[in-house]
Amino acid sequence: MNTAELLAELRRIVGDRGVVSNPDALMTYNADGCVMDTHSPDVVVIPTTTEQIVAVVKLAHREKIPVIARGAGTGLSGGATPVNGGIVLVTARMEKILEIDTRNGRARVQPGIINFELTAQLKSRGYHFAADPSSQKACTVGGNIANNSGGPHCIKYGITGSHVLGLQVVLADGTCFWTNDGTPELPGYDLTGVVVGSEGTLCVVTECWIKIMPMPESTRVVMALFRDILPAAETVSAVIAGGFLPAALEVMDGGALKAVNDAYNMAIPPEADAALIIEVDGVDEGLDDLIAEIIQIARDKGAIEVRPARTAEEQVKVWSARKNAFGAMGRLAPTYHLVDTVVPRTKLPAIMRDVKRISKEQNLQIVNVFHAGDGNLHPIVLFDRTNADQSARAHKAVEEIMRLSLAYGGVISGEHGIGIEKQEFMPFLFSADDLGAMAALHSAWNPDDLLNPGKIFPRKAGAPKLAAARRAAGSDEGGIAAIVAKHGDKVWI
Amino acid sequence: MNIVAQLAAITGAEHVQENGVISIAPANSAELSEIVRVAAGVKAALVPVGGGTRRTMGLPLVALDRPVVEIRTTRLNQVIEYVPEDMTISVGSGMTMAALQAAVAVNGQMLPIDVPLPGRSTIGGILACAADGPRRLGYGTVRDLFLGTAVVEARGRGSKAGGMTVKNVSGFDMMKLYIGSLGSLAIITSANFKLLPIPRAAATIACEFETLGAAFALVDALATSKLVPVACEVVRAEGGQGFGLCVAAEGLPQSVERHRRDVAAFARTAGASGVDLLEGAEHTAFWARIQDLPQAADVAADEIVVRVGTLPSAFGAALESATKLAVKHGVSLQFSGRALNGLGYLRARGAGWKAFHAELLTALPQAAIVVLGLGSPDPGVNMWGRPPAGLDLMRRIKHEFDPENALNPGRYLV
Repeated sequence: MNTAELLAELRRIVGDRGVVSNPDALMTYNADGCVMDTHSPDVVVIPTTTEQIVAVVKLAHREKIPVIARGAGTGLSGGATPVNGGIVLVTARMEKILEIDTRNGRARVQPGIINFELTAQLKSRGYHFAADPSSQKACTVGGNIANNSGGPHCIKYGITGSHVLGLQVVLADGTCFWTNDGTPELPGYDLTGVVVGSEGTLCVVTECWIKIMPMPESTRVVMALFRDILPAAETVSAVIAGGFLPAALEVMDGGALKAVNDAYNMAIPPEADAALIIEVDGVDEGLDDLIAEIIQIARDKGAIEVRPARTAEEQVKVWSARKNAFGAMGRLAPTYHLVDTVVPRTKLPAIMRDVKRISKEQNLQIVNVFHAGDGNLHPIVLFDRTNADQSARAHKAVEEIMRLSLAYGGVISGEHGIGIEKQEFMPFLFSADDLGAMAALHSAWNPDDLLNPGKIFPRKAGAPKLAAARRAAGSDEGGIAAIVAKHGDKVWI
Repeated sequence: MNIVAQLAAITGAEHVQENGVISIAPANSAELSEIVRVAAGVKAALVPVGGGTRRTMGLPLVALDRPVVEIRTTRLNQVIEYVPEDMTISVGSGMTMAALQAAVAVNGQMLPIDVPLPGRSTIGGILACAADGPRRLGYGTVRDLFLGTAVVEARGRGSKAGGMTVKNVSGFDMMKLYIGSLGSLAIITSANFKLLPIPRAAATIACEFETLGAAFALVDALATSKLVPVACEVVRAEGGQGFGLCVAAEGLPQSVERHRRDVAAFARTAGASGVDLLEGAEHTAFWARIQDLPQAADVAADEIVVRVGTLPSAFGAALESATKLAVKHGVSLQFSGRALNGLGYLRARGAGWKAFHAELLTALPQAAIVVLGLGSPDPGVNMWGRPPAGLDLMRRIKHEFDPENALNPGRYLV
């Protein structure tokens, strides 16, 4: 099938408006929020129904063309970048809430719905979807599912995976079915569970049953300001150790605070070099006493000012400053690289000291905005990507932060995913056999590697090679790495 | 050298028994890998066993022409890593839930998965069977708290996934794959969990109702309220006339007090014939009894233990149907269920147990009905209920992980 025939067939499936093939327009889809590597797709398809997606996936399967599902393109790991070209399947026109079923705590939505719009609709009924990534004003629920997104409130409510009940999936060959509808403990392997966080490499999600929860009766928010980031991090540890179960524990360092203060005029005193936002929620009884105890801990650790936000308006202001912090970074430098990594909570103060040192050594500003309660840090390395020397130093800084996180017992991504950004870091965390098990799962779903190829697994190894090596390995042989060595095929980085 | 001698050379003869089935208890995952490699050499069937409290779950083993090697995880029972301040723990899969709870309770922490028979149920078995407890309402299940794992696969390869951090999207969430897979994909050797602080206060509001309908009127009232109980269990006990609706509240003392007050008031409005408030040791002992109700270790010869999952809104009607069918088939019926989650455990006893179960499957075509325990194993019993969607895909997964079908052959639905 030549390109003209492919375009004609796609137009027949989704209509003229649903096909983008102009080379200039295709550039819009050459990356997501991670612009380290760009590659234009061959064609972009914007379907409106599940049936259209099934038809597109079947066509791609027949013609062996990659299919890359894409939500709003806010991902930060390159998960939606079409590294091998192919068809980018955009969910932007599948953005409806199809059903809200409060009695069963669930809502059926299309994957292209913006997280914030869903939240607003649910809020008017007194409910919420717990996953609330900072990008929620732009990101889609489908993208949240692909990345198993977090957000400030997952310390109490859990990540996206805990809030997805069932998925309508389209497999690589076009087979379409629902994994679940919210019935607990369906027998069979937990297909829903493994799809969440698989970055579109296992299937295409076309509809979702998500879990919705009643809004808490009451909420208290307090922002504590510190002269340094370390006492803020220590306050986090003390609050956790004290047996409190806050709904959010978020830290911004001086650099982030300054950017946000300039953008939102929050009257932050110049001596403040870190802010800790603490939220508690639940029934009203006891919350005032609880927040008073937490404020006392912050003061004992050296907070110079505490700002309780009791009214909804005050709370929104505090939160919008936090959630828009990444946007405010544009005031500080032309480019930033946001590193997403996690360490055990008690290692936070230590890694914060390291990040300060790395910032000095590489002579680059690094600001920090992070989910402290989860040990999930987001050092933001600021640089100018048109300056080769700065870019190289930024890359060094990122790599050292990643290596340190692992040395502290951490992992390589907390909530942004692997995509292409971190695929070469995977062997630092996982052995060849660990990756082989993941490749086996991948192979059962996506045997020809047509759905979002070239992601998560190290590029030279790749899921199909790993799965094949694993299959070839007999019981007497020492695993995939040994097989690879024996056969002289250098699939490893 | 025969296989028993080969296996004894790995663990020492004192950890190998042979009685038709070869049973072996490795000391660590390296030994387990060796055992699995030796077993694969003779195409043995591998049967992982933890506390042995759910031995009759699943279909009968299909291993007619192959040796059977039972892998006992009892010696994989150590705390591998525990930094209390991080509120995470890594333990061997053979550790019992009670031992894990004891290890973390000294630091004011808990893993709020209240499985039956915690003194015997092991972590590996709990994960493989996706066992849950009444507090899933407040704290979720192992799916929400299982952070990382190490397994030995069907050809003896060891692999790990996840980690020791409470958030992690580094690679696929393999933990989800192993949960509830009944040892059909790999043998779990260790598991990492997120822990929670033991709440400052806790209490039970135990409400009695004459009818199930009235009990579910309270469930509906709770569902539409701003209350956040951590458990809401509907119970019909042996020989009991009525139905219990047992609500647990945990957290700040003021919050628990509010729950006591409001739940009691809702219960009276719903027509409760009695409302008891339980605290302290009484509260603890009460829930220990409830959590054991679905145990499947000690099942009478004429008894069946069944797990029934429905949408929460359909749960009351499902229990009504079961109650009527029990009368029809002359079986005594006990149940306990997470009323706000739509998950129940039924124990039916009497000569009509088989007909009761068969008709339950027909009466509740939308429900997920799985047999957990059977007093008299019988090939005519549909152990897994209605087949799930995606069965072909599940078979491909099984084949990728276990191409020789060595792990628990025949027992799982795939």
